[in-house]
Amino acid sequence: MLHIAILLGKLVSWASKTFGLGAGATWPGEIALRLNPTILSSLACNLKKGVILVAGTNGKTTTSKMIQIILEQNGLSVVHNSSGANLDNGIVSALIGKSNADWGVFEVDENTLPSVISVLSFRPKSRNPEKKQWIPDQVRDDKRTIIVLLNIFRDQLDRYGEVDVIAQKWEKALRGSKATIIANADDPLIAHLGLFAKATFFGINDKTKFFTTMEHATDSTFCLNCGSRLKYEGIYFSHLGIWECTKCREKRPKPNISDGKSPLPGLYNLYNTLAAMSVAKILGIKADLAGFHPAFGRQEEVGNVKIFLSKNPAGFNQSLRTVLELGAKNLLFVLNDRIPDGRDVSWIWDVDFEMIPKDVSVRVSGDRVYDLALRLKYAGIKADIYENLEDALSGPLYVLPTYSAMLEVRKILKGRKIL
Amino acid sequence: MKLTIAWLYPDLMSTYGDRGNIIVLTKRCQWRGIDVGVKEITLETSVSELKKSDLIFMGGAQDRQQKLAGTDFLKHKGPFVKEMVEKGIPALFVCAAYQFVGHYYKPYQGDPIPGAGIFDLYTEHPSDQAKRLIGNVVAEVISSKKTIVGFENHGGRTYLGKNLAPFAKVIKGFGNNGEDGYEGAVYKNAIGSYFHGPLLPKNPHVADWLIAKALEEKYGKKIKLVESDDTLEWHAHRFAL
Repeated sequence: MLHIAILLGKLVSWASKTFGLGAGATWPGEIALRLNPTILSSLACNLKKGVILVAGTNGKTTTSKMIQIILEQNGLSVVHNSSGANLDNGIVSALIGKSNADWGVFEVDENTLPSVISVLSFRPKSRNPEKKQWIPDQVRDDKRTIIVLLNIFRDQLDRYGEVDVIAQKWEKALRGSKATIIANADDPLIAHLGLFAKATFFGINDKTKFFTTMEHATDSTFCLNCGSRLKYEGIYFSHLGIWECTKCREKRPKPNISDGKSPLPGLYNLYNTLAAMSVAKILGIKADLAGFHPAFGRQEEVGNVKIFLSKNPAGFNQSLRTVLELGAKNLLFVLNDRIPDGRDVSWIWDVDFEMIPKDVSVRVSGDRVYDLALRLKYAGIKADIYENLEDALSGPLYVLPTYSAMLEVRKILKGRKIL
Repeated sequence: MKLTIAWLYPDLMSTYGDRGNIIVLTKRCQWRGIDVGVKEITLETSVSELKKSDLIFMGGAQDRQQKLAGTDFLKHKGPFVKEMVEKGIPALFVCAAYQFVGHYYKPYQGDPIPGAGIFDLYTEHPSDQAKRLIGNVVAEVISSKKTIVGFENHGGRTYLGKNLAPFAKVIKGFGNNGEDGYEGAVYKNAIGSYFHGPLLPKNPHVADWLIAKALEEKYGKKIKLVESDDTLEWHAHRFAL
């Protein structure tokens, strides 16, 4: 049955690519999963060294690509869901293509992480007799599961639910896992998860990068342990910074990794870099990201257009700050409200558009172009409205699109949505 | 003229674009030459700051933050907000705040959580299997017959008592409970609504009603606000219809 599922998956993958139905990133896995619901762990058992899972609201795609590059530079073969299909069907699709690699490096959707952890955590069988879940018989102690936890920001509340609910689900999943955890020390929510999981921590130790005023879109400025207000020595962005609870004394753990040079602009990419370097350190291999090329839609350059995927307040504020630092004079924001974007566009009121200087010209487009134009009006900016996205994409431009809008922009500029 | 807006728990009860309401109230005052200030009222703020304000806004929250704010509201700020609302101070309670101002919130398990009892309403969460009421929503304000547009996302179902009038009639979406066809509530000059986050940007008529009422209460005379160019507001509004 396993072989039939894999064969059929490969056939679907070939067909969808050949007939232009899609990138073959989800359907092969979906069909294989329906034929064989336990196919994920069966396939993952063929990986020679183990799996690395990357989770978080922002930075999954970039960080997992960085980890892939580092492993490959060290002569290790990698299977990776590079198209960003990060549900179980996306991971299975990737594995169907190449399941005999040394490592599987997978970015995982926030809501999917708990189930993927339970299936992919390699651990000795005997330690877990009461668990009902299926444990692959090929489980071996010499394989590893490494989980990288980047951050949790408010994102698509209509789809993901509240930030705390996600953190609770993760905590439950991690409690039963023997995986090696790498966690962001500067995010109080993630650090709290990491503290009990005895994580390896990464974080930024550079006071010159503290942001002087606090952004409004913050989520975790109250202690996870006792509920008191957290005190920050300084904030890098959103709720990431050097924090401490004045009451119960839970505080930001000292990072094991804090020195790194990001190959991409933006403080958020320094976090992604440090996370990837932490993996290298744990595995005892070298990390050189100097020639790193960004993943699709993430600071990707297409001609004279630069695309910065921006899909939630924390990410949008960071993208905006970064493009302004890069000297952007022409901006295009594209806001869609489709399923992958979240149907609710309320979050644009948490983005600090007010930071845009007067001499920068702003265009808006997308399904909810008028919501964006209205938000900008209240930030004192008169935006040029483009109901047709294609018309908006002319001249040198920094584009900040939501997810489905990013795919549309790529389709127009490159003739294809993903890879 | 001068107006002070009290923004209750901006660090706890501002989940998804709630700030939009404050931005809109502030700008629409400034466009009319009204000297407007926003007082952020949170756990540590004394009630004397609250009492000096002319308009109240309180937004949505996530569970953990809601507990922190709820305890403080019930003990400290709630009784004064009640007094102010009774006196006719206009207020906007959105989402979790709308549930807070009722008599109680009953989770699907455990005891009911008491509310501030400012509005004659109660909220129940039917069961953990019950669907959250999520989506774009359109309703018609009962008093003005004008439409309001927004997005709702709530698990609790709210039922109004006989001393409270609904704010609007649902045209598309769920509203208070997905059963009786009503959305929100009005009591004196206070509005409660499940339209979460930025209710006011695409509904400038509601924003202006709150501003005008606040000025009328403060200066004791009928106020007619200077017209503003709301072409873009109504364009976004119509798009959501």
